[in-house]
Amino acid sequence: MNTDLLIVALMAGAANWAFRVLPTRMARTAPQETGLMAQFLAATGPAAIATLFVASILPALTLVPRDLAALVLGTGAVLAVFFRTRSVVGATLAGSVVYGLAVWGLT
Amino acid sequence: MTDRQPTFLQGLSASVPIVMGYLPISFSFGVAATQAGFSAVEAFALSLFIYAGASQFLALALLGSGAPLLVSAFTLIAMNLRHVLYGPALMKQAGAAASTRYAWVWAFGLTDEVFGQALGAMARGQRFSERYMFGLGLGAYAAWLGGTAAGAYAGGGALAGYPAISASLGFMLPALFLALLLSILTRRQLPVIAVAGAVTVAVTLAVSGTAGILAGMIAGAIAGVARR
Repeated sequence: MNTDLLIVALMAGAANWAFRVLPTRMARTAPQETGLMAQFLAATGPAAIATLFVASILPALTLVPRDLAALVLGTGAVLAVFFRTRSVVGATLAGSVVYGLAVWGLT
Repeated sequence: MTDRQPTFLQGLSASVPIVMGYLPISFSFGVAATQAGFSAVEAFALSLFIYAGASQFLALALLGSGAPLLVSAFTLIAMNLRHVLYGPALMKQAGAAASTRYAWVWAFGLTDEVFGQALGAMARGQRFSERYMFGLGLGAYAAWLGGTAAGAYAGGGALAGYPAISASLGFMLPALFLALLLSILTRRQLPVIAVAGAVTVAVTLAVSGTAGILAGMIAGAIAGVARR
């Protein structure tokens, strides 16, 4: 085992644990925030999900017609299945399958 | 809102789309690590301890290029700073009565996707429970570790002959985030979502993907404060 790798992994892992665990615990022990901080935290969730969606779709945006068509079809499948069933799991799986089939069919 | 607390098994079942998204990414990570000259055990150790996708790929580049140890560690730490917002945002949605007794274990599993899935479930009326968080987090973590081990074992080019499967698995996470976004979408959240998306694009193009994510989240949350 590479010692440098182990040290970096342990340091980054310990920081990750602290970033994820400590604010979660402190959110309970601290008095309930009101006002601006409460609004900020309430908006963090939707902001984070929107950000992560945009960040994950950005690399897939391309001028290659086949990839763009697959992206449109995959996204359409997520929208269609979600609005029909309201199921996150179903919409995700449908989008992924349609995207893969589109790449395969258009190749 | 339902009165029953969601169970461990419900959490495990809610992790299925995350598992399907994590397997190909962690598999790719295992492959990339072995291609970069690291052993399967070293690849597994990175996934076990760090458990954060983008920073693990960066770790390979930093360690492989011989970057100083402290520079590597602090770069990776800075990349994951956004996670400090997840716990408080989740507990805000969970309400004052929610327990965090075992958060020192389950909250380590609060990745982008686990956070999004848990928040989306509560936005759809589900109650918060630590058992659910254990199930959700364990499914995702097991997939991450299993995918890394399989990728490190298989070595380079394992999915090269199956471009459609590779593409399908690669679209799993964007599809999951879109579905989660739809599940929390309300007229009230539109300004937050629009600002977060626009700032993410602008900062990603101008600076980097990591900076784009952090800036998008903060700008969206500030838009949430400013809308009143």
